[in-house]
Amino acid sequence: MPTLFLAPTSFWVDQFVNGLTTGSLYALIALGYTMVYGVLQMINFAHGEVFMVGSFAGLGAMTLMGGNDLSGPMIALAILVALIAAMAASAALSATLERVAYRPLRTAPRLAPLISAIGASIFLQYFVSDRTQGKAKFYPDVFPRGTVGAGAFHIEYIQLFLIASSIVMMLFLYLVIQRTRTGRAIRAVAENQANASLMGVDVDRTIVTVFVLGAAMAGVAGVLHGLFFQTIRGTMGFLPGIKAFTAAVLGGIGSIPGAVAGGYVLGLAETVGREGLNTIPGVDLGNQWRDVIAFSLLVLVLIVRPTGIFGEKVARRA
Amino acid sequence: MRDRGYGSKLFLALGALAGIALLAAACGDDDSGGSGGVKYGTAGFTSITIDSGASVKIGISSPTSGDLKAIGQPIVDAAQLAAEGKDIKGHKIEWVVKDDLCSADGGAAAATQILQEKVVASIGPVCSGAVVAAEPQYEKAGVTQISPSSTAHKSTYPDRGAVFQTFLRTTYSDDIQGPVQATFAKDKLGAKTAYIVYDTDAYGSGLRDAFRTAFEKGGGKIVGSPEGYEKKATDFKSIVTNIQNAKPDLVYFAGFFAEATPFIKQLRAANKDVKFFAGDGVKNDEFTKGAGADAEGAYLSLPSPAYTGAGYLTFGTAYEAKTKAKRDASPFVAESYDAATIIINALNKVATDSGGKLTIDLKKLNDEIRKTTLDGASGKIKFDARGENAGGATPVTLFKITGGKYVETPR
Repeated sequence: MPTLFLAPTSFWVDQFVNGLTTGSLYALIALGYTMVYGVLQMINFAHGEVFMVGSFAGLGAMTLMGGNDLSGPMIALAILVALIAAMAASAALSATLERVAYRPLRTAPRLAPLISAIGASIFLQYFVSDRTQGKAKFYPDVFPRGTVGAGAFHIEYIQLFLIASSIVMMLFLYLVIQRTRTGRAIRAVAENQANASLMGVDVDRTIVTVFVLGAAMAGVAGVLHGLFFQTIRGTMGFLPGIKAFTAAVLGGIGSIPGAVAGGYVLGLAETVGREGLNTIPGVDLGNQWRDVIAFSLLVLVLIVRPTGIFGEKVARRA
Repeated sequence: MRDRGYGSKLFLALGALAGIALLAAACGDDDSGGSGGVKYGTAGFTSITIDSGASVKIGISSPTSGDLKAIGQPIVDAAQLAAEGKDIKGHKIEWVVKDDLCSADGGAAAATQILQEKVVASIGPVCSGAVVAAEPQYEKAGVTQISPSSTAHKSTYPDRGAVFQTFLRTTYSDDIQGPVQATFAKDKLGAKTAYIVYDTDAYGSGLRDAFRTAFEKGGGKIVGSPEGYEKKATDFKSIVTNIQNAKPDLVYFAGFFAEATPFIKQLRAANKDVKFFAGDGVKNDEFTKGAGADAEGAYLSLPSPAYTGAGYLTFGTAYEAKTKAKRDASPFVAESYDAATIIINALNKVATDSGGKLTIDLKKLNDEIRKTTLDGASGKIKFDARGENAGGATPVTLFKITGGKYVETPR
């Protein structure tokens, strides 16, 4: 798209905001991957489905609260209830998965829980798809439309809300990990399970907590995804799940700041990065190329810096 | 010079090789002749025997689950309706319905399943992506397929050059729909510039090309680069930003309602004024239901004549009584009813009965179907050598969404 040479600043700002929006969702989901990897060195491939179930729970809550008939302050209340319901549903699902699909395999070879996770992922995808006849469901279209900003910079309300709530959630998680007893237990278990256990940390409980915290983030992402894109379906978790996993690896799997950074890098690469490439004469990458860009970036990072942006931990372990 | 000698010998050898290859390619597809300037490939016509008491099987390849079930199921229902109360010389008709998910992979898989069942003919695939993937299999088995809904240019102009003898359609090609859309966009909607968003499958990319060629020929300008998406995409934000930057008069959407719904919502959140125009894949009640107020004022077209004939009224009444669904909730139902009627009529003509045993010569069946002329539910149908429906005079209808309903608008 050579015409983009002439694209106004507002175009790049808009694409930047789009990148931050998608990136926020990736980052929120990536936290779950990275935290579980941090304590168990296991990739929870069913995490994308935890996100999907959260999204459906949020839709259920909003529908019960009045759906498309919501108005005024009731909208804010419904969104709040939806967020709580989604966090609860995702957390419950994730804790169940941990108990049923992963804990029995904790001492098994590393491939076993991975395969169990993929199985759980496929089961959940098709279970929900079956329950919904494979059809898309729509979030109520109640979030106020409009933009805020000045000059070349403006941002839609919904994007502002999405980015802001993601950041709040991530800060909350950071505080939990760094400032609370539970957080200290999580860090201890991540460092060394056996030693943490000797120091009186309940390892099983801590691991469940990790799953629950990661799932809560995914649940929030599910509701935000629903509010923003409005269309949800049983298979919606797969691609964001893989992308968030990519983000976690980009940032350095096991590292919490890494997952956040990876999410934003990936989101921006798909939007600003794609349009940036399009300014090169002769290059014309349509929207369908965004996945190619994301995964090429992953391959590149794995070749050049296999530990990711923030990941020294893995190197030390390996 | 030595060097040059070597070089020219190499050149000569390569040239000869290229020549042989071209000759071989030209001959390769030419083995079965054709008619009307159309070259056919070789179809594996055989004959199928049906034991006494056994039923005659006809396949249907259609998306019967997922988002596009809303397109696929009505087409299945309409075809089955055509067989009600009918038989093939005393043998019952049995439908072999396979879900092709509207995808290339699904179309090929459904074709394998359908052909395993020894069907004598098949309806579908519904989606062009599935048609293009499945055509070689039907051709190899010599089983004639009639698609009631595949509109892509590629369905009848395959990449391999030689036309598939076993493929026909009761709907009309995008070669007809595209130019009508382009003229409508330019003359009636006053659009000088258009931005294209398309599904990357055979249907979406085919419609994109048909519209783009006709629109540019008429003096219109395509702004920005056409943006593709894969099925089930939900994030169109980046495309919408590009649209805002390109400032087109009209956004042309070549795809299905399942993605058009989130797309138009995201488009309207940023831009209330740009005109939205789409093809048959979006004309479905699911679109007006899902997109609600954002769908208001959208323009759509259908590659079918306005249904006004007596055949349509009879069909419509029977269809609504059977399915409890509206006859115009989803397109191509009348075309599907006609496709099934054509197959059943032709079967009754070519099947030979010997002591309760039916023999069906698939080549004769193909010839009989190709000869058919029908004044059916969807209008007049006759096939040209390429397998196109050449029956209708003005087979494109245009709609504007007004008050949540598709209201026909003059072209």
